[in-house]
Amino acid sequence: MLKIENLHVRVEDEEREILRGIDLEVGAGEVHAIMGPNGSGKSTLSYILAGRDGYEITDGSVTYNGEDLLDMEPDERAASGVFLAFQYPIEIPGVATMQFLKVALSSQRKARGEGELSTPDFMRLVRGKAEQLKVNQDMLKRPVNVGFSGGEKKRAEILQMAVLEPSLCVLDETDSGLDIDALRIVADGVNALRSPDRAMVVITHYQRLLEYIVPDHVHVLSRGRIVRSGGKELALELEKDGYAAYEEQAA
Amino acid sequence: MAIEKTTAETAYLEAFGAGRAGALAPHRRTAFERFAESGLPHRRLEDWKWTDLRRVLAKPYPPLVERPAPSAEVAGLVARSPFGEIARARLVFADGWYVEDASSMPVSSGVDVTAMTAVQGAAVEVSPREDDPLDQLNIAYASDGAVIRVQEGANTDIPIELIFVTTGAHEATHTLRNVIEVADGASATIIETHIGAEGACVANTVMEIRLGRDARLDRIKLQHDGPSTVHLSNLLVTLGEQAVLNDFTLTAGGEVTRNQGFITFAGEHARANVSGAYLLDGKQHADTRLVVDHAVPNCVSRELFKCVMDDEARGIFQGKVIVRQDAQKTDGKQSSHALLLTENAEFDAKPELEIYADDVVCGHGATSGELDENLVFYLRSRGIPEARAKAMLIAAFAAEAFDSIENEAIRNVFNALAHDWLDESTGHSAHGASE
Repeated sequence: MLKIENLHVRVEDEEREILRGIDLEVGAGEVHAIMGPNGSGKSTLSYILAGRDGYEITDGSVTYNGEDLLDMEPDERAASGVFLAFQYPIEIPGVATMQFLKVALSSQRKARGEGELSTPDFMRLVRGKAEQLKVNQDMLKRPVNVGFSGGEKKRAEILQMAVLEPSLCVLDETDSGLDIDALRIVADGVNALRSPDRAMVVITHYQRLLEYIVPDHVHVLSRGRIVRSGGKELALELEKDGYAAYEEQAA
Repeated sequence: MAIEKTTAETAYLEAFGAGRAGALAPHRRTAFERFAESGLPHRRLEDWKWTDLRRVLAKPYPPLVERPAPSAEVAGLVARSPFGEIARARLVFADGWYVEDASSMPVSSGVDVTAMTAVQGAAVEVSPREDDPLDQLNIAYASDGAVIRVQEGANTDIPIELIFVTTGAHEATHTLRNVIEVADGASATIIETHIGAEGACVANTVMEIRLGRDARLDRIKLQHDGPSTVHLSNLLVTLGEQAVLNDFTLTAGGEVTRNQGFITFAGEHARANVSGAYLLDGKQHADTRLVVDHAVPNCVSRELFKCVMDDEARGIFQGKVIVRQDAQKTDGKQSSHALLLTENAEFDAKPELEIYADDVVCGHGATSGELDENLVFYLRSRGIPEARAKAMLIAAFAAEAFDSIENEAIRNVFNALAHDWLDESTGHSAHGASE
């Protein structure tokens, strides 16, 4: 589903490369965890997949379902099934969460040539998903993320994912700032979305999240390169030994 | 040393005698003489430094001496008001004169409505502003206006709409002075709609508003004048004890707009919420000068302006809060926020606090910036195309000012107007975040 080859990226107007030759292949139904210390390029990788401005791709390619992902606009990527759950979900004053979800879903459906969902059907869809994620009606009426607690923001993020039903979910440090109860709710929400047709890339610093969202593959990212890949047991090893050994190796 | 008169000034001076509004007769000569002395305001006056009327009025716009012939255009312009379904009573003025055929008088009891031309002598109290050339021009040349009196205890929450249309057929100054009195314990909602066709003209409109004890007025103004109109307005409000003013102005039309507001607290425990929005493009210019005078203790004032400027438009907000020595426990806040959609758009803010009392809470804030690219990206990452994402964010920015409008139907009109503005073929939302 997703194939990253020799991806080199730097921030616009800066010399230093942040990603220095990433190779990664993610198949449908798989959950891949990308672990690494701060500054290893984890968030950059997530932004590159979502299409954020401000980066320059100096080499390599990203293919998504056979198409050149890097050639697509951010909204085109979303409509074709790419979803990024932000590490720091952004507050949007003046735009109610419900309205935001409706415009997002109808924009995506329109881009895919699907019909408009009726308002009652849409309300039912959102209410059902919101209940599972313990997102209350009041939050849906409020402007997107405005005044939400850290945990509420992450739940709202996963709610968007559940409503939009993407095929490639990229979760950027979804565990940061969550207490154990909030983490469990978020992880349950993510696990409910696991399916043979859907792939997930879970980016995290700590192993803790992976106790709840158990990955099929774990990759260690250090200084812009994947320096080791393995099964879920690799996460436990990292938890015990830390990243120090890999940083030396990548340098 | 006398400054040489401009052609516009000379035209005004030669037109003395054109004023018709009866109630203004006792004040007319004094106003004229003061104007003859001061001339049009210019940039060397601190309040006028961004809007030099001597330059703006580059040619003469003499007032019409006689009522213009009925224009077939009036009905079409009136029909463009978005408040047709909301207002129960409408008073239409075209090119400065009351048009009875196009108006429908209020039926509710407790409200008296008269045309200023029908009022003689001192039957209506008029308070000229002696140091204000705009006001002098208004008094000297007002041809008509509405006099609305809401009687004690009367509650007319069905909005009354005043529609001021300019047909663009006369290169002239159309001058109206309106007086609104809301007596003790009474309340009213008044919509002021300005709609204009193409064709250069000047519109000078004054609203003199007096709110009695416990009175309440919601005043909503939509300025959708024609593209070559110079829109000049004065809002003069006096609030009695425990009175409430909710005032909102959208400036979307006109070539040059100068809105002045002078809000005076005359009784304690009163509250004034004054808010506004600009939706400007092309080379439009809008300058709001607002002075809130806390002359007595225990009053609350709130000002919020949200200004969107596209192309080479220029917005200005000059807000001043005065707290007199006796006005303890004053709570006054003002803020202005600008969203610039291009590099050539401009916003100037001049917030001023003049505080002579020591036990007060006052504050001001002004911001100016572009659309936040992080917000645009967040929306796009959810599948919302760029133009739509920007339009949503711009509308949400302006909507914060609309939120002060309590009447939901009226608030919805403004939300729809903002969306229409964003959808226009010029594509305001195609601008936005820097490329």
